Amino acid sequence: MLRRLERVFVDVSAAAIIMLALLIFADVVALNLFSSSVPDTIVIVRELMVLAIVMPLAAATAHRAHIAVEFLTNLLPPRVSGWLTVFGTLFGLLALSPILYSGGREFLHQWQTGSVFYGDLNLPQWPGRLAFVLGIALGWLRLAVMAVDDALTLMRGGAIAPHKT
Amino acid sequence: MDPALIGLVAFAVMLVLLAIRVPIAFALIGVATLAAFTIFAFRTGTFMPERAFRATSSLVFSNSFDLLHSFDLSMIPLFIALGNIAYRAGITTAVYDAAKVWLLRLRGGIAVASVMGCGGFSAITGSSLACASTMGKICTPEMLRLGYDPRLATASVAAGGTLGSLIPPSILFIIYAIFTETSVNKLFIAGILPGLLTLAGFVLVIAMWIKADPAAVPARGEAASFADKMAAFRRAWPAALIFAVIVVGIYGGYFTATAAAAVCVVLTVLIGLAQRQLDLAGIWQAVRETCVQTSAIFFVAAGAKIFVAAIALTGMAPALVEWVSQAEFSTATLLFAICVVYLVLGMFLDPIGIMVLTLPLVVPLVESYGLNLIWFGVVVVKLLEIGLITPPVGLNVFVLSNVVGKDAPVGMVFSGIWRFLSIDVVVLLLLVAFPSISLVLSNAVQ
Repeated sequence: MLRRLERVFVDVSAAAIIMLALLIFADVVALNLFSSSVPDTIVIVRELMVLAIVMPLAAATAHRAHIAVEFLTNLLPPRVSGWLTVFGTLFGLLALSPILYSGGREFLHQWQTGSVFYGDLNLPQWPGRLAFVLGIALGWLRLAVMAVDDALTLMRGGAIAPHKT
Repeated sequence: MDPALIGLVAFAVMLVLLAIRVPIAFALIGVATLAAFTIFAFRTGTFMPERAFRATSSLVFSNSFDLLHSFDLSMIPLFIALGNIAYRAGITTAVYDAAKVWLLRLRGGIAVASVMGCGGFSAITGSSLACASTMGKICTPEMLRLGYDPRLATASVAAGGTLGSLIPPSILFIIYAIFTETSVNKLFIAGILPGLLTLAGFVLVIAMWIKADPAAVPARGEAASFADKMAAFRRAWPAALIFAVIVVGIYGGYFTATAAAAVCVVLTVLIGLAQRQLDLAGIWQAVRETCVQTSAIFFVAAGAKIFVAAIALTGMAPALVEWVSQAEFSTATLLFAICVVYLVLGMFLDPIGIMVLTLPLVVPLVESYGLNLIWFGVVVVKLLEIGLITPPVGLNVFVLSNVVGKDAPVGMVFSGIWRFLSIDVVVLLLLVAFPSISLVLSNAVQ
């Protein structure tokens, strides 16, 4: 279930990146050829950016793609290094919690007040906030699952899979 | 509690967390949140957790969300997508293929072609590690097969991979621009001459290596026919076109770096489809890879934004500026100290981590000395580039050793890398001594 959700979120992110490219390209063409611009390009691009960046957080976490310094831990026995990986995952859970909380609070605020972006289309502000919360929440969930899985693997005497990227 | 003390503790805890492999993004976010909460809680002298909770929550959200919710920074996923799509379309490696054909008659020609290919690859992808990883799989095995000295075959590609940091588009320049609020356009253009200077330096190293040890390379190969040369040249034109669109577009003021990224993505897809090197499934896969890579980079940047905000609360940066101004260090002393710090950190940490950890303190210092931040950005990126091949960590060396396998043990790559490191240091000294190398083009950006 979690993997399926992660795949869907990455697909949404990929679609957002393609739309980013097409929208900005269309805006450049419109500006240079017709001296006009696509309405609310900046607002739409900013909202798409949230989708593009936050939605793949869980997949990036599952791929162990987060940038880390491995110089010292590579010198340690695999078991010690494995437990440090579990600690890093637990620390990630702790670190993401305030962002998840504050993001949720901000989304509820925008939802209740019905705030919109000033512009031609008066687009609502809540969708970007919702995407932000969903992406962080799924990333948080993936971290929790990984912490449990990795700890169980180490307790059974196994080794944690290396970083994939 | 003294905010400056909290700041110092935060830096110390951060270094410990990084040393034990806590991902940089999580370490930055976690430590910054705790530091900000502590400062807010003790701001009035008495412990007020409720008020601190609200203020910290607001600081954490605004700094992380605002960074992602940015028009200008959409260039990061777009440039990464450009690199991934161009790689699938065979555009990134075409420069190497072309240079190889043209330089067949030159002794050590494949090594020179590898370095030039790395420059071309970097010019499109903006990533040093991707360059070392991809070119390492292509160039090094070929050189080893032809009888090149394994140290030259590996070190030339590991060093060539670093060109991605300076030659536009460069992800490091974009991140530097975020934290210093400088123009990405100017930084991109400022990196061109230093990048080419480094490229020329690497070619010089190969020439001097061959002169000192003629047995390091095989005998001259047979020259390619004119038709082969023209065919190779034709294969390389998409890479040249993409680079030209980025540079001419920005330099001529036709569009911003963000617009250049979008235009080049569309252009690359069209070229790939027209040349039948790409299909829709390939494009989709390249963009999906982009998502994961971009997310990892952005979470480091978001963590750094929160960390910078927390450090601003501690008042450490102004205190450091005041201390340095009271000590009356000369500009040369300051620059020397900064270079040493970056070189030492570069031995152990990855470039993005170094940048986000140091810039909150270093930039106010540099500004207080009236130094140009565009020029300083070039110097910082050059220092980070050097860190990529400096023992004991030298990420490019490890990546290359990993992709080549048993023929390229880390120790052997490092044994050949010092010659390239030497020329890197010479280029760094030139960049520091003659800021115009970096600024002559960027000052003319419209």
